[in-house]
Amino acid sequence: MKTRTYRNPTGVSRYTGLLLISPFIIGALLLIVYPFVSSFITGLTDGSSFVGFENYKHILSDGQIRSSAAVTLKYALILVPLKLIVSLAAALVLNMELRGIGIFRTAFYIPSILGANLAVIIMWQYLFTSDGLVNQLLETVGLSPVSWYGDPNAALFMIVLLRLWEFGSTMIIFLAALRDIPRELYEAARVDGCGRARAFFSITLPQLKNVIFINLVLQTIAAMQEFNAPYILTGGGPLGKTRTIGMYIYEEMFTYGDAGMANALSWLLFMLIALIVFIMYRVTGTLRRDG
Amino acid sequence: MKKLLLYLLLTAAALLMLYPLLWLLGASFKTNDEIFTSVWFMPKVLDLSVYKRAWQTVTPYTMGHYFLNTFMIIVPKTAFAVLSSVLVAYGFARFDFPLKKLFYGLLICGMLMPSIVTVMPMYSFWSRLGLLDTYIPLTLPALFAGEGMFVFILIQFFKGIPREFDEAARIDGCGTLKTLFLVLVPCIKPAVISIAVFTFLWTMNDFLGPLIMIQSVEKYPLSLALRLSVDSTGQGYELRTVIAMSVIGLIPSLAVFAIAQKKFVSGITAGGLTG
Amino acid sequence: MKNIIIKAAALCCALSLSACASKKAVSVTPPDGSLDKCELRFSWWGGDDRHEATLKAIDLWSKKHPDIIVTPEYGGWDGWTEKVTAQMKGGTEPDIMQINYDWLITMSPDGKGFYDLDALSGTLDLSGFDEDTLSFGRVDGKLNAVTVSLSGRGLFYNSQAYDSIGADYPKTWSDLIELGDSFGGEDAYPMDLDIQSGGTAWYLAVVYIQQKTGRQFITLDGELGFTEEDIRDALDFYKLLEDNHVIRTVKARTDEDGNAALYQSPEFIGGNVAGVLEWGSAVGKYEAVLPKGVLEAGPLLADDNGNNSGWMIKPSLLYAVSGHTKHPDEAAAFVDFLLNDEECAEILGTTRGIPASMKARAALEKSGSLTGLSKECEDMLSEADTITISPYMELTRMKSFYNAAIGSVSYGTADTQTAAEQMYRSINEYLEKIKK
Repeated sequence: MKTRTYRNPTGVSRYTGLLLISPFIIGALLLIVYPFVSSFITGLTDGSSFVGFENYKHILSDGQIRSSAAVTLKYALILVPLKLIVSLAAALVLNMELRGIGIFRTAFYIPSILGANLAVIIMWQYLFTSDGLVNQLLETVGLSPVSWYGDPNAALFMIVLLRLWEFGSTMIIFLAALRDIPRELYEAARVDGCGRARAFFSITLPQLKNVIFINLVLQTIAAMQEFNAPYILTGGGPLGKTRTIGMYIYEEMFTYGDAGMANALSWLLFMLIALIVFIMYRVTGTLRRDG
Repeated sequence: MKKLLLYLLLTAAALLMLYPLLWLLGASFKTNDEIFTSVWFMPKVLDLSVYKRAWQTVTPYTMGHYFLNTFMIIVPKTAFAVLSSVLVAYGFARFDFPLKKLFYGLLICGMLMPSIVTVMPMYSFWSRLGLLDTYIPLTLPALFAGEGMFVFILIQFFKGIPREFDEAARIDGCGTLKTLFLVLVPCIKPAVISIAVFTFLWTMNDFLGPLIMIQSVEKYPLSLALRLSVDSTGQGYELRTVIAMSVIGLIPSLAVFAIAQKKFVSGITAGGLTG
Repeated sequence: MKNIIIKAAALCCALSLSACASKKAVSVTPPDGSLDKCELRFSWWGGDDRHEATLKAIDLWSKKHPDIIVTPEYGGWDGWTEKVTAQMKGGTEPDIMQINYDWLITMSPDGKGFYDLDALSGTLDLSGFDEDTLSFGRVDGKLNAVTVSLSGRGLFYNSQAYDSIGADYPKTWSDLIELGDSFGGEDAYPMDLDIQSGGTAWYLAVVYIQQKTGRQFITLDGELGFTEEDIRDALDFYKLLEDNHVIRTVKARTDEDGNAALYQSPEFIGGNVAGVLEWGSAVGKYEAVLPKGVLEAGPLLADDNGNNSGWMIKPSLLYAVSGHTKHPDEAAAFVDFLLNDEECAEILGTTRGIPASMKARAALEKSGSLTGLSKECEDMLSEADTITISPYMELTRMKSFYNAAIGSVSYGTADTQTAAEQMYRSINEYLEKIKK
């Protein structure tokens, strides 16, 4: 057996870290390992008995679930970049030292506080039904109205817009990171005759590298697990074309009471997300390390 | 001039964000048919008695009682979540130890699994310990860094602090924990505060957890009390009372955010892209 | 049919198998008819009026039986099934529960999930129920639950909208189809059918075929009674309604109303959509969004010979006693009080629908509180030759099959033949699976 050396500051035991993360070790056993094992076992049953990988076989051959996976990927692919851009832009503006900026910061976070509040669901109906405000607006500028709820693609985009509108939490993480950028960097840049745009690309963005990455990972996970927004806005329709995998799992678990299928599907979703996150780590690896 | 334009733009955007809240406020005075046919927020009549009814609820307890219950969950939970996430993230970010990769992998895995699958196993776990209908299943997991995402965020923020800070503190005679709380935590105060804020807001809205774990109406948190009257299977109900309750229920979240948002920018080293 | 129990076992076996096994062997005090001092938990879901009335009824109970304390556990409908499912799996359910019809299958597939109430006849008086009504609560011959009230869907119309067009409420299917023309000129619709959780589109099509063929869609013991052709005919009938402008297409309805229920739709509130198919026990929410007295009950649709069979009823709610209760006699006494006590009946009124118990009903008739649309609907159904809805028909998974078929026929992604084949296969596979 080869012995490994632990690169800690002198005088720090290799167990110090373990001690610090000890709450997590207990938590991991109780909140991660145990539910994972339990869920895996349940995923191997059809309810009445052990069926091996039947549920998995069924899922992989089911066209509906495949199209649901495609919907989920498409949803994440549209939402995540948009949300990162919007929340970063909002954070940049709200980080300025303007009078009354706190009021705006609070206002911009309100959609995230409202969440699935009834007001939001009804407001979306006023906006997107056939003679809703958005279509009226489209018509006044000479465009043809869109069948928001009835057309699969439009319906998915409408859900994206709801989640985009709730950009508050992502924005906050950006705000917290923006504050950590040393102001001297900007002052030095200004002395060098750097413009606002140059400063953004050569100082702000590189400094935010890590936090852009965590927001990317967190938002991707959240989007891939999405179930609440389609659940309340479209119920998965039209024709099940906005039924995300997350919604599928929720319905199998609670609406149809098929815990075996719900858990098997969860494991597949888990593996899919793990793959995506792994790729993200790999691709951004060199970018994140330097600087 | 440029500033004025910026303010105009901000105000327009803020209105877009605020309108549903304004509409909700107005809807608390509207009849059901008015709610579903009028996108304009102003109600036809202003009858404040709806708020009295909402505060009293149909249960033997007032909303004040449910607020109190919610805070009995939120206060320990927030404290637990912040403390445990900071410690664990510090451990991951600054130290090398056996099985580190395994534990980091577990942390990430915990975030990737849909949380629905943990509901039933956790229910039977707490049930076997006889702890259903107490707040322990809702608060205790926070003590064990139950929200992996928080640890994940904090690790990245800790990594953003130059190691020289730790070394300087060590030379000044600070131990491991002193370095953490006196030197590092102040550096990432906005991130720590946002974690506290997230815990607060999400717990305010959490429905499924308390629904499954809490049985007695007396112990219901606000999120359950808000839906007490909502029965789509029945003869229908007056929405405005439910809406009035949810308006009252939003006040703590709004207040907490309004207070906390100052901390996201003003700190020891106020910086960033300024005017 | 043991699947649900095994499912529960599988869910909790990761930590300890022994705890699971011991759960089944709970010792229960044998019923002896005498009431002891104890505490009981009683759970229900509902809205404000039901909560208020039930809390008052519990007050009355505590005056009559100060020794038996009843602790209420109640909430809204959202998530209530999840909550009770978790409790049943964990063996932590309340002593007495208000349950939904299809829970009998999902929570007590072998009749052992709830207490066998026949064993408690000493304290629970069932003389106010006829055997038909009681049979709704039987699973495998065991009386798992007692029906609180019966309900069926009836037709309700916006009288103002009908008056302004000068149309009468339809009496026959052909009347209904002709109405499409009269309303179509005004860009309005005489009726609405949906494929949301209620799924009225398939319901009406089933009534039509049941009336025509005399076959029951799904039998009480969970057999598919329709042939594949019956299902195709039902889908054709639905398409006919769409094509004749009787109802909006699924797409038009979705575009106009989003995901909202009809009573939340400006089209309905404004009178553009002038009819609804709804449970008599739940029509109040439609009544409330229209001016007072505007919504009226219409006749059950019949064929041209006046045959109006094929319409359906089901128990809207039932009371069940936990199989784990330590106080079966006391629980039975409380159920008896809820169902039969005259004073209690007055307090509860129709907050759980029109009582099925003759005793409670008599009390309400005496005080004159049985009026309104629910009563009219119930009267019409009780005079007709109705079919009892199978709890299997009500399972949410089954509803997803109906709605998928209607959706694809309406959007034109499948013809009725293909959709019918698909639906026939799915239903048979699923029924086979859950009855195993």
